[in-house]
Amino acid sequence: MDTAAEHSGIAGAGSAGDDAGDELLRRAQEGDVAAFEALVEREQDKVYGLALRMTRSEADAAEIAQDTFFSAYQHLKDFRGRAAFGSWVHRIAANNALMRLRHRRVVAKSEEALAEPGFNPMGILSRPPEQWERPADEQVIDAELGSAIERATDRLPEGYREVFLLKDVEGLSYEQIAEITGDSVPAIKSRLHRARLALREAIDQFYSEK
Amino acid sequence: MGLFSCKECVDVLRAYLDGEMSPEEQAHLKAHLGDCPPCVDFLEQYKATPGLCKKALAAKMPEELAHKLKAYLREKTKPA
Repeated sequence: MDTAAEHSGIAGAGSAGDDAGDELLRRAQEGDVAAFEALVEREQDKVYGLALRMTRSEADAAEIAQDTFFSAYQHLKDFRGRAAFGSWVHRIAANNALMRLRHRRVVAKSEEALAEPGFNPMGILSRPPEQWERPADEQVIDAELGSAIERATDRLPEGYREVFLLKDVEGLSYEQIAEITGDSVPAIKSRLHRARLALREAIDQFYSEK
Repeated sequence: MGLFSCKECVDVLRAYLDGEMSPEEQAHLKAHLGDCPPCVDFLEQYKATPGLCKKALAAKMPEELAHKLKAYLREKTKPA
């Protein structure tokens, strides 16, 4: 199913495509199927990854990838190119994944399930953080840490996981997420903060057990 | 508003990083951070968490699925 938001051409996570991508897009819009296939190859890992993380199902992720790229092909001529092609298809994928999640009618886990830092009655951190705060680009993610992060992300209640993935992994703006999810920006900001705290806790826990 | 506790400091980290705090709130937060090394570590970890997760969650479409996707799209985009 398509939505108006998918085809509105509103700028996405990237405000413009790269030159090679723009040329492929132009050719694809003129009906060059090989150019469209090249665009798909450039984006398929990210689209699949987003769908997999949101739905936690390989089968659903595969179907979402198919639906997303076919929908993009059908509406290629409507795409006005103010956003990068990648940002556009990621938004289509996010919409498709959300619709699938809504359809599943999974009972959301309670907010109490979210891990948070502990404080004493004076509001002081009850345990000092472990030492792992180097920026992400300076850190190597080993398999164990990667698995711990995957598990922690999967444990996030649905509305929190999707906001975290769309904002911090996909780079969408709060307004774009509100448009896709139908939630208010303040609610999205609150969920993002709690999701980040829960994931920080999980990483801290991982290092404390090493 | 008085000086922030660690909890109040943690509560406002997203707003701080998004530049949504008033100058007065920022001053209280910075005063707390100047006096609380654990909260400085916490802030740096909060900042590092999205990037670490993004790295860890990067997925590659399985090759077999990529072939299937290509075949599916070729079939769907075939001229009538």
